[in-house]
Amino acid sequence: MGTQVGNWLDERVGWRKVWDAIFLRKIPKVNWLFTLGSATLFVALIQGVTGILLTIYYVPTPDHAYDSVQFITTQVPAGWLIRGLHHYGASAMVILTVLHMLRVIFYGAYKFPREVTWFTGVLLLLIVTGFGFTGYLLPWDQKAFWATTVGTRIASVAPGIGEWLLFVMRGGEELTAVTLARFYGVHVWVLPASLLMLLTIHMYLVIRIGISAVPKRED
Amino acid sequence: MSEEKGLSRRDLLSIGTLAIGGIISVALGIPAVAYIIGPARRRVQEENWIRLGPVSKVEIGTPTLFKAGVERQVGWIINEEEISVYILTDDGRNFVALSNICTHLGCRVRWISDQGQFFCPCHNAIFNKQGEVVTGPPPRPLDQYVVKVEDEQIYVLGG
Repeated sequence: MGTQVGNWLDERVGWRKVWDAIFLRKIPKVNWLFTLGSATLFVALIQGVTGILLTIYYVPTPDHAYDSVQFITTQVPAGWLIRGLHHYGASAMVILTVLHMLRVIFYGAYKFPREVTWFTGVLLLLIVTGFGFTGYLLPWDQKAFWATTVGTRIASVAPGIGEWLLFVMRGGEELTAVTLARFYGVHVWVLPASLLMLLTIHMYLVIRIGISAVPKRED
Repeated sequence: MSEEKGLSRRDLLSIGTLAIGGIISVALGIPAVAYIIGPARRRVQEENWIRLGPVSKVEIGTPTLFKAGVERQVGWIINEEEISVYILTDDGRNFVALSNICTHLGCRVRWISDQGQFFCPCHNAIFNKQGEVVTGPPPRPLDQYVVKVEDEQIYVLGG
């Protein structure tokens, strides 16, 4: 029955070829460090699911943000779990992405023909830090407020465009409702959209080129 | 493991992957559903007596409208809501408290004193003085509050 449905679909959509290309591709003899990319992808997926769930109750305005987060944590069934996963998942994202990058550096996996994969990877790391930076403000507690005050102030010391950057990030001189709303917009729309786009390219290249092998001494 | 004919290394791995994936999906899926349907399972916290006003205001034989402010916590917001209750008495001792919410689709009914009946403007429903349906689509009479009189004040039980 299952195979029949599968065959019917395959005749029309050709999914088996896609499936095989993704999951049955040939890989060289590698070690566990080569799972860091998949681990990052898995946590990213969890972040996506829990993030979407959080938006069901979270409200990004100064008069509701803190209270809605408290409501999620203390009142909504499993709210503590969803928020906790998203909170710790954020740290896991940064750690895993960096470890993944270190593996690529130390095994020289960024070299020909994988330069473009590397470029998209670097951008993806920036996006992950962007997620961390914008997400940190959203609970709108003291820690969030002052961390973002300091974080945006750091951007302002960039030569030439610093002050302008600060204005764009804060949406004005001070950290206000405008800042919270734009951080939220960036966190749930701009960054996820960019992530999805770059991740698609990243994954396509990984599948097309195949993953690198552990370099040998004579390489 | 020659006993387990047909279970290749590949099969074992895919079964294992599916099993772990399934466990993770369920472990995240069940809390996710609970999280989403959470508010639907919440009942109104506690009921308390809401003071409407003095008994002397009630006209005998005519539904008299009382309004009262009610604080209601929805999510993390405390709302000030107003409830409207028609108090009806025929003898000044026994009181009936009718909700002004139409039992059809929740519009507000009002007492038309010329005709001696309640009228709902949404679908032209008509209820009689006791709140029973005369014409129109409402499935049941107007809802009633539990009512009590204390120190010449009328109270209804509401949440």
